[in-house]
Formats: sequence, structure tokens, C-alpha cells
Amino acid sequence: MFVLSFLLRRLLQGALIILLVTFIIFTLLRVVPGDPARLIVGGMAPDEVVVMKAKELGLDRPIPVQFVSYLGDLVTGDLGTSFVRPKSGASLGGSSFDDATREERAKVLDLILATLPMTLQLAAVALALALLVAVPLGTLGGLYPGRWPDKLALAIGSICVSTPNFWLGIVLTLFLSVKLKLLPAIGYRGFSYTILPAIVLAVEIVPFILRTLTVSVAQVMREDFIQLAPIRGLSRSRTIFSHALGNSAIPLINLLGVQLGMLLGGVLVIEFIFDYPGLGLLTINAVLQRDFPLIQGIAIFISVMFVMINVLVDLIAMTIDPRLEY
Amino acid sequence: MAGPILAVSNLSVDLEREGRSRRVVDDVSFALAPGEVLGLVGEAGSGKSVLARALVCAVSTPLEITAGKVVFEGKDILSLPPRALSAIRGNRIGFIGANPMGSLDPRLPIGQQIVEKLRCVRPGIGRAEARDKVLDLLARVRIPSPGARFHEAPFQFSGGMMQRVMIVDALVSDPSLVIADNITQPLDVTVAAQIIRLIDGLRQSLDTAFLFISSSLPVVAQIAERTLVMQRGRIVEEGCTAELAARPRQSYTRALISRIPSIWKDVTAPAAQEGEAVLTVDNVMRSYLVRRRGSFNAYNEVKAVRDVSFTVKAGENFGIVGESGCGKSTLTRLLAWLEQPDGGRIAFLGKDLSHLSARSLTEMRRSFQLLLQDPYGSLPSGMPLQRMIEEPLLIHGIGRAEAGKRAQEAMAEVGLDMELADRLPVGLSAGQRQRINIARALVLKPRLLILDETLSALDQVEQAELLDLFNRLQATHGFSYVFISHDLALVRRMCHRIAVMYLGRIVELADNSTLFEQPHHPYTRALLSAMPTLEDNRFPRPRYLLDGEPPSPIDLPLGCSFRSRCPRAQGDCAKTDPPLLALAGGNYAACLHRHAAPHEEEAVHVE
Repeated sequence: MFVLSFLLRRLLQGALIILLVTFIIFTLLRVVPGDPARLIVGGMAPDEVVVMKAKELGLDRPIPVQFVSYLGDLVTGDLGTSFVRPKSGASLGGSSFDDATREERAKVLDLILATLPMTLQLAAVALALALLVAVPLGTLGGLYPGRWPDKLALAIGSICVSTPNFWLGIVLTLFLSVKLKLLPAIGYRGFSYTILPAIVLAVEIVPFILRTLTVSVAQVMREDFIQLAPIRGLSRSRTIFSHALGNSAIPLINLLGVQLGMLLGGVLVIEFIFDYPGLGLLTINAVLQRDFPLIQGIAIFISVMFVMINVLVDLIAMTIDPRLEY
Repeated sequence: MAGPILAVSNLSVDLEREGRSRRVVDDVSFALAPGEVLGLVGEAGSGKSVLARALVCAVSTPLEITAGKVVFEGKDILSLPPRALSAIRGNRIGFIGANPMGSLDPRLPIGQQIVEKLRCVRPGIGRAEARDKVLDLLARVRIPSPGARFHEAPFQFSGGMMQRVMIVDALVSDPSLVIADNITQPLDVTVAAQIIRLIDGLRQSLDTAFLFISSSLPVVAQIAERTLVMQRGRIVEEGCTAELAARPRQSYTRALISRIPSIWKDVTAPAAQEGEAVLTVDNVMRSYLVRRRGSFNAYNEVKAVRDVSFTVKAGENFGIVGESGCGKSTLTRLLAWLEQPDGGRIAFLGKDLSHLSARSLTEMRRSFQLLLQDPYGSLPSGMPLQRMIEEPLLIHGIGRAEAGKRAQEAMAEVGLDMELADRLPVGLSAGQRQRINIARALVLKPRLLILDETLSALDQVEQAELLDLFNRLQATHGFSYVFISHDLALVRRMCHRIAVMYLGRIVELADNSTLFEQPHHPYTRALLSAMPTLEDNRFPRPRYLLDGEPPSPIDLPLGCSFRSRCPRAQGDCAKTDPPLLALAGGNYAACLHRHAAPHEEEAVHVE
């Protein structure tokens, strides 16, 4: 009952946020210069063809009407069709409106869903790597403030945070793939292609986790109930594992929610450097090709993901600490 | 059983800081017999809590045990290996601290945590057996519906209930010694009195020895047979508690006792005065909507202040007392016009504050100033003192030169050294900080000061100095004061008239001598009976002390809201909510079966 009412309230709030985001993106794309009908039929098409296309797509109607009909499609899961991408996947070459190579164009949702697993895989591997390194180190740092684990955590955090990701990507490619030939770097033809970009991403996330965890563990260790635990007769390991860690997890979980949202939003630079066919690369190409329906679709899709992740994070935080109520 | 259960000899603890060491516990020796309750009193900073921790070998850097022995049941705790120590700590010796709300993991059910502890110190006990034992003890410390409370987390408990839970936590392993370190300090008087009564009952049935530590001799005197007095780390006096209280041998003990404010013996109550009304409060109401936990859109109405009326006259000290949750703080916020009442009106110097324009309200605010409890949080830490005191003047549009002059006058008046003018407040004592707050209010030449627990963070000496300052300021400027406090002794000393609040209502409003000597409302009597005193309490506990805790302000009992705890409640109390009735001598009480005034009582005897 408690969870149900929570979900209901949060999902309603989320729907409102998504509606707002949709409206903003939709309006922005309508007010920028450039006629989508002209873009679709190509520069060489006669004006009548442009008008016909506009009528066919409903682009001659007032913008609010267009927005409402777009929303109607959105609810049924129809994010529209790409301006430039055909179903086969190849980009359009010819600019003539009656070019035979212009086949049926691809659905935006299909394009997103095709790349999403790739991005999910990259995000999951990156997050797992980061947690693997940062959680033990961050916890130790918090348990021994001012001593060597704390200093080590600080040092590693500083180094990671000050390494530019594009530089690290290139250097790692140079050493691990080109010189040592350990890992493949460019494109995607199997799981091993995920590892290099994931390492670069993990290096980016590690300092945040380290910092958050060190601070929250150190803070919890100063609490009365931890200080009293040995006097009550609890052993140190029990105090740490069943009380200290649980209480310091909340800030970490909130942080992971934000980080995961960013990762799923597509890590533009990294996917571009490694030519990794995820959501990020799709976004960059959509922007370069002015594929408005695709840009719009990706933006809305990402905002939905953000909302869902946040609801999930709050739900997990609430399970860990029943005092929290969102 | 012969021989002491705990024998401490020549125990010393040092505090090492920046290469210098200071002795915190100095050559302490004492013994504790099985089943005995030994009191330990001393002021804040005398080393009581450090001693308590040293007894269970739980001091950590910068503190260090430098000498001595703590022999418990024949073994020296200080020289035991960690494994043997863990068989004693939490098992044979229980420990209860001063912060019940922070003593357990705030996320987890209390029952689960006590079971965890019990099975940690007694690995032989099964889960089900441990659970039964905890449930049994929860019932014995009189926690209502222990079966349900077992599964609740600390944040769902009140301070008093949580302290009962910590008593269960300490007693669950059948220890032979319990160290109780200042356990009543954070609790309201009636709740603290209940806890003491509870421990007194438990120890008779359990045969457990207690080391009962407190900064208040009257508190210790309620329970301990023998008492140690500690000063600057040393035990300066030891003896039978009653003997020690009546005939102290050491000057320090005498000083300690002389500082305990007297409530009935040789007290002259400040007499009520006449004067024009400064502050008029008429039927003021304030409630809050709080979303019900786990609901989509349901709200609870918390009635924080209900139908409160009173007047404060010029030059008068008006006291408002009550326990936590009675609506004092909300009322303070209303009086200072930080929040507006939902109903009723508050008038200052005859002008209804809700009818004033924003501008004249700001102007009016100069005349009533609020002084807060926390001397640290209420001052901006990065501002020089004089600038701080000038600030209210600058806000009210007074020129810089004039403001500076007035700020310096105010500093002199409250007794702040001129050398401090350009200093930041870092390193100032709590008392000095409150002087700054007083000066900040004083520069505006107010008519009324609202003191919300302003003195409760200060020690006895600082408190006495500031009370003198308040009296002096009243004599020169004709201030009125509203004292909002839980400290009955302070109110007894300072206030002309006093209102007692319970669950958002004033249940009794009377002049000082009536309220303390012949109160009409059973709740007032309960409050007075719960006060720890060395003198004979006029209202003996067995007859007046309450059980249980106030009901939640979300669902108040029908009829009289005090009915659920009232020893005099009768059938009609459930039907009628008694209004605040005017009695002889300008006093008021809200009770259908109030205690009679003295002359009425005599009349009954004659019949």
C-alpha cells in the first residue's frame, strides 16, 4: 500500500515533468529556422512537392495542434520517423526528390531501441568497474580518516578527476590496442569492444563515489550509536557491516542514480572517440544531420529514463532507510 | 554475597592534546556492592562521563587510561585481552547513555537490534528465545503494546520511550552492573521521574547494581543510597545520600547544594503587578497539515496551539511552561509574529498585528524582540561583534555613526568588554554570546522581550548573572518579559504570572504563589511533583505523578485532552472539554474537577 501510493504519486509527477520537457523540446525545434518538409524532399524539389509533403505530414497546421497530435502519437509509443535514415540503416545519399534509393524511412523508436542495449551494456560495465574500485577504497578511507587509506582515496580521486576523458581514451587506445594489442578499440563486434570505453567512463565516475563514500562513512562512524556499539557488546566487524555501511549507503545511492542517468543519456564524447554504436553516437549523428524527429525522440526518451531512475533510486533509498519519505 | 562487585582503585585518565596532557579523572577509588545503587554527581566537565567510559575500558584517543585498576567480579577489566573484555562489556555490564534517540541504528527495528546485541554477547541463545526475552522486558519497562513496538525503528519513538528501550537493551543480558550515564538529562520532568521510578522498581526485582551518574544531586538523591561527589576529576566526598545532602562536609558539596534553587522553602514569589496591557493574545489557534505516512493524499491536522488567551502587562514577567510537544515553540513563533495564527488575534500595544501594513509591522517589530535558545547558531560567525549589534539599527534605517554609538552603549549595558567590539564571536562563552543577543535586542529599545528557553543552554552561574541583568534592564527600561521555559525553578524565581500548557492549551494560568503552592489543575500538580528536589516535595509523587505520555496532537481525546492521564478524571470529562474558567484573584484553570483553593479546602474540612 505504502509502495503503491508512493509509485502513483511519483509517476504522476514524472509524467508532468516529461510533458513539460516534451513541450519545450517541441517548441524549440519548431521555432528554429529551416523547413522540415524541404529537408525531407531535398533541395532540388519543386515548391509544390514541398507543400504537398508538408500537407501530408500535417506541418501546415498551427503549432499547438501539431503538439497535441504529437502527444497523441507519443502515448501510443510512436515517436515519429526519422527525416534522413532509411529502414535499412544506410544514410541517404541522393538529394533528388524522386531518387529511387529513397526507401521508407526508419521509425525513431526503432532507432533508439536498437542502440539502447549497447549503451546499457557500456553503462553497466563502467558502473561495475567504478564500484569495484571505489567502494572498498572509499569505505576504508572513511573508516580510517587521516590515515593512509583516506590519503590514498584522496590521491586516486584527485588523479582521476583531473584526467581528461578524451585524452585518456586516446592514450589507452594507443597502449592497450595499438601497442599491446590486448583489447579492440574502434567500433563494435563483440563484448570486448565495451571494455576500453568502460574503463575511461569508470575513471570519470570513481572520484565522485570515492568522495561521497569517504565522507558519509566517516560521518556515520562518529555517530553515537556506532560509538556506543562496542560498549553494548557488538563486535567491530558487525558494527561496520550491519550498521555503518547501511547508514552511509544513502548518499551513494543518490549519487549513482544521477551518474546512471548521465551514462544512459549517452556519453557523447566517449562513444564518438571509440565509434561505439550507442545512444550517444546516434545523438551526435542526429544533430549533425539535423534529424529533428530523432533528436526530439532521444531527448524525450532520456527524460523518461531520468524520471524512472530517480523513482527507482528513491524506492531503494526508502527500503534501506525507512525514515526517508519522498 | 560478600565483597564488592566493582572495585575501582586509583584510576586516572589523561587527555593528551598538542603534546600536553591534562588529568581528567584523577586517582579515583570506590567500590560498589552487589545490588547497590551508587550515585555520582558533579558539574558538567567534572569527568563523570569519562569515568563511566573508563570503567568499561572504552576510552579512545585523545583520552588515555594512565593508572589504576577496575576490578569487576574478580577480574581487572583494564588488563583483559579483547576477547575476555567482550564477554563482560554489554553482557555482565550494561550501559545506558544520555542520548536515547541516537543510541541505536536509526533505520532498523529496535527489537531486531536488541536481539542482535543479546545474541552477540550470548551466542548460546537462540533467535526465538532472545525475541521472547526482549518482548518480556519491553513489557516490564511498560512500553505499551510491546509486540508492535518491537518492529518499530527509533524514529517512531519519543525520547522517554526510547530511553525505556535502552534500559531493555542494557538489562537484556541479565547484567550484574548497569552504568547509567545522565540518562534523565534530555527528558521532560514527568518522563524523567517515570524513568527513575521504573529503574527503582526494576532493580528490586532484578538484583542489579547501578552506577547512577547525573549532574543534579536532587536527581541522584531520588534513587541512590550512597553518593560520590566529583570535582575536576577527583572524588571529593562520599557518603550516604541523605546524610550528604543534609550535612555536606566539603565546601564543594556545600556550594553544589547551595546552587540548587529552592522551590518552596524560603521563597518569596514575585508578586503580580498592575500595568497597561502590552501584549494581548485572544483565542489564538494554529494547526499544521502533515501528510499521513504512506498515503497518497491524506493529511493529518496537528493542532499545535488551541484557543490560547492571555495578556502581558507592562513591567511584567510572564512565564509559559509545559513539556515538549505542548505547543510552546509554536506559540513563541506566533508571539514573535514569525507565523500568523489561523484564528484569534494577537495585539501589541492595542494594535492587532494582522491589520498592520507591512511597513508599520516592521516599525512595530522594534518593540518586541525574540531571544533564542541556541547561543551558537543564533549569531553570524563571520561578523564582528559591534557590527552584529548595529545590524538591527541599520535595518531600521538609522545612520551608521548613530548606530555605532548606540551599539557601544548597549555593549556596556549588557556587560560586554569594549575590546570585543571588533572581534569575531569565535571562542566566546555561551553566556557572552547570549549577552550579544540581548544587546542586539536592546538597541531597538523594545517594550517586550520574548525569551524562548534563552537561558537553558547556560550553566547555573552564567544563568544567575543573566537573570540579574534581566532584572536590571527591567528596572531601567521597564521591559516586559515572556519566559518560555521547561525550567520550573527559573520560572518560580522570575515570573509574576505563569501559564501552564498541555497539548496546545493553557490548562492553568495563575500568579506565582498560587501556581506553586496551591495549584488548581491536576497537571500542574503532576509537573511540580515530578521536580527533583532536595527539600520535601509539597506534592508527593505517589499521589500526583502521572503515568504514560501525552497523546498525539493528531488525535486528541474527546472531551478534556488531559483525561487520558488524569488521576481525577471522571465520566463527565469524556463529554465536556473544560473551558479556561476564571477563578478568584485573576487566576484561571481548565478543569471540571480542579483542586480547591485553600479556603475552599478548609470549608470542606469544616463540613
